Amino acid sequence: MSSGPTPASSEPRTTPKRRSVADVTCLACGCLCDDLTVMLEGDRVVEVLSACEVGRSWFFSESGREPAIAASIEGKPVSTEEAIARAVSVLGEARSPVVFGLTRTVTESVREALGLADLLGARVVLDRSGTDLGRVSAYQGQGRVTATLGEVKNRADLVVFWGADPVRTHPRHWERYSVEPKGRFVPEGRAGRTVVVVDAEKTETAERADRFVQVPADRHLEALATLRMLARGKTPARPTAGFETLLGLADLMKRARYGAMFVQGGEDSGWRSGATWEAAARLVRVLNDFTRFVLLGLGAAGNLAGAEAALTWQSGYLQGVDFRLGHPSPLDDLVTIDELLKHREIDAVLVVGDGLPTGLSDQALAHLGSIPSIVIGSRATAVSDSPPTVALATWTPGFDARGTVVRTDGVAIRTRPVRDARLPGDGELIRKIVDGVKQAVKAS
Amino acid sequence: MYDLLIKGGLIVDPANRPEPVVGDVWIRAGKVVDSPDSPDARPARTVDARGYVVMPGGIDVHCHIAGSKVNAARALRPEDHRANALKRGPGLRSGTSGSTPSTFATGYLYAGLGYTTALDASIPPLSARLAHHEFADTPLIDKAFLVLMGNNHFLMDRLRSGEEGKVRDAVAWLLDATKGFGVKVVNPGGIEQWKQGRGNVVSLDDDVASFGVTPRTILTGLARAIDALGLPHPMHLHGLNLGIPGNAATTLDTLRALDGHRVHLAHVQFHSYGDAEPKTSLFGSRVGEIADHVNSHEGVTVDVGQVMFGETTSMTADGAVGHFLARLTGRKWVNIDVEMETGCGVVPITYSDKNLVHALQWAIGLEWFLRVDDPWRVALSTDHPNGGSFLSYPRIIALLMDRGLRDDAFNALPEGVRRRSGLGDLSREYSLWEIAVITRAGPARMLGLPDKGHLGPGADGDVTIYAPDADKERMFELPRYVVKAGAVIVDGGEVRSSEVGRTLHVSPAHDPAIEAEIKDWFERDYTLQFANYPVASEDVANPLECGP
Repeated sequence: MSSGPTPASSEPRTTPKRRSVADVTCLACGCLCDDLTVMLEGDRVVEVLSACEVGRSWFFSESGREPAIAASIEGKPVSTEEAIARAVSVLGEARSPVVFGLTRTVTESVREALGLADLLGARVVLDRSGTDLGRVSAYQGQGRVTATLGEVKNRADLVVFWGADPVRTHPRHWERYSVEPKGRFVPEGRAGRTVVVVDAEKTETAERADRFVQVPADRHLEALATLRMLARGKTPARPTAGFETLLGLADLMKRARYGAMFVQGGEDSGWRSGATWEAAARLVRVLNDFTRFVLLGLGAAGNLAGAEAALTWQSGYLQGVDFRLGHPSPLDDLVTIDELLKHREIDAVLVVGDGLPTGLSDQALAHLGSIPSIVIGSRATAVSDSPPTVALATWTPGFDARGTVVRTDGVAIRTRPVRDARLPGDGELIRKIVDGVKQAVKAS
Repeated sequence: MYDLLIKGGLIVDPANRPEPVVGDVWIRAGKVVDSPDSPDARPARTVDARGYVVMPGGIDVHCHIAGSKVNAARALRPEDHRANALKRGPGLRSGTSGSTPSTFATGYLYAGLGYTTALDASIPPLSARLAHHEFADTPLIDKAFLVLMGNNHFLMDRLRSGEEGKVRDAVAWLLDATKGFGVKVVNPGGIEQWKQGRGNVVSLDDDVASFGVTPRTILTGLARAIDALGLPHPMHLHGLNLGIPGNAATTLDTLRALDGHRVHLAHVQFHSYGDAEPKTSLFGSRVGEIADHVNSHEGVTVDVGQVMFGETTSMTADGAVGHFLARLTGRKWVNIDVEMETGCGVVPITYSDKNLVHALQWAIGLEWFLRVDDPWRVALSTDHPNGGSFLSYPRIIALLMDRGLRDDAFNALPEGVRRRSGLGDLSREYSLWEIAVITRAGPARMLGLPDKGHLGPGADGDVTIYAPDADKERMFELPRYVVKAGAVIVDGGEVRSSEVGRTLHVSPAHDPAIEAEIKDWFERDYTLQFANYPVASEDVANPLECGP
């Protein structure tokens, strides 16, 4: 076990008491492994057991972060009360605000933020990737045959990673959930499973698979549709290139006892489209007429699934919600924060997350600079060239926050703070803003 | 100081009074109390109930309002919410209705209907935490859920080896770990069988593949454990072969297998079908025989699972049923296999009065209400949202109270229904008193909740006040006042509160030795740490532990 880095200071000091926190959940990737043990000396992380390198370095970097300024306005430090008062006035004056983010925090805070959005008559846009929007629209069009990860571990004798490279992006997925673990009906573990990768390039995961099927990014939809046809015993009128390979794959899928297909889909792939996701869902549905087969995602870092769950139970709409009419209306499938900013449809933005939205188009960025913004999150007050109007720093979900997160398969986990929080929770700050807005409404 | 006086109403309180009587209800500290002797006693508020009907708050003994499958259904069906928005109001959150209302809407709509308690009938242990979070966002009503156990690997393994004590301890541990209220069994062994891709179990003595148990072993073993633990609610059972022609025979076999045990048959309408007729999928009603068994066995209660015509969403832990409906309807389908525990199927469905099977299901449900002699043994349910929304309860009440209305509806259905159901011969009409039994007093007794479903001293101050109306549907649709724990939450027909009610649960004692054994199994098979599995106190809104 590591004894930790040597202290930089040579001043005499006593070694802080060493302690450890077990069964810690890691939010660094979509696996949400909950079996980490974090060792600390005082408040400083000195070792992380059971974690992959992604998770381990995340805990060290959190631990090493300079204490944040609690609150700022236009980048200048202020008291938390001042910042909340300003946030209340910004949101109270806004006629078309948007609440954005919500995917990096605990579900409890998402619930509070949705309450604020309801009160304000705001739109709620989750910080989601294009492929997540494709997943959502396909789900609403087609449904999905799926399972919790333990079903894959215990039953799957065929695992297909389609446009998914977990060895690189979700390092423990392979060992913990999908390939290596021994399960009730797969007592041999890895040896009891056939692993297939379908992707545009030979990925790290493909290197370790039993079979690699190369399909260019723009042909995934076609390949899925062909497989579905083949699974139903039909042959396409004009067999395309690679047809023989797909025929073999369809046969493998139908002969599986319990198959599991994992999809991730990069931003540059065909998986931005709901049609591709829908084709995958349809294929898996058809396979269930012959055997058992399930479709899963690898999951996003943080708590996207928890944000989606709370959004759904409070409003009815998985895709995002518009409270402007005084009741929930569904957001259009393709609404993104970039679209809303670009078309100047919003006059204030409240971000619950790390910081102002990034990766915006020039027009969107220009509009963002012209409207007031509020950021509530663990990095909200970090030094920036273009700080938000109001910034409120918070605890860090997965590190010192209290609350729950949800795995991509719907399993909710209560996170365990590894040390006491030095900053307030985002939920608590949002509640104060809600109180302030309510008082302002009463007073007017 | 008293919270509330409900003055001069016609009190319908079947648990305490054999007839409706005019009188007062006093509430103090959230509970019904004796009328004060002192003429100086003053309540904080008086509701003038003269001319009104006063009943205990309604209790739904079987519905689906939280958990992974309800939320999967909400997410699946934006088209079901669009035309059904609820605006936010002073102190009230906005929401959406349809077959699967959002959480806040669920609370407001139940309260607006005069219901103050609802039991979600089907939560996998693994989604208990999320279900509690949804409950925390479901205002006004008291809530509880049943925990799915009929396909649990640990329990099936112990049932195979005949370790009764361990079964009992594991059931107790699971209820405590999930903060659940009771035990739900769905298609015992059949969900596991289907998850393995080996079809389904169809009779009590079929083998559950690779587990060495049969549905009979599971049923009788769990029934013994539930009796031994003295849980307030008996086994809550969704049996084998739901919705399949000929399943009445299985239902009768099941009842005989459980003879001597308490049991609650859920949505019994879906389990009362005669054999398939040659060349069609049609079947006749066999309610009569099963109802006779219920009538002669005191430990058996049922809820009906009435089907109502219209658009709804089917949802079940029985994955095989979901797959069957998906193939039958060709509509969108969600299936979720839940590790070591259970399954889940969600499919939209439209019940049509032109469809002979649907029309039969409607008639068979109504037969159940009319053929069970003792109203204390039958509860009003639609298996919300499976047979229809809980919002259709007033319509069902009207059909039970008015034979003319019922006969008109029956006679408008396809001719084939009248050959296969004897509903038209049943002249019984429910009284107001009997309606109070099947919607509150009876469900409270079935659930073993001594403080609910009545208005005697010590009862929870949960009261519904209706304006009498010849149109019973209208009467029960819009209560004038609803009182929860002494607070008026529906006032003049308007929802006025967003307070969160209690979460009812049990925490039966168990031998702690079982935990080490569960932990070993858990760490081998689950993908979650054992320590992270039990629901924490922060997860549960306003918990209230109930007996034993």
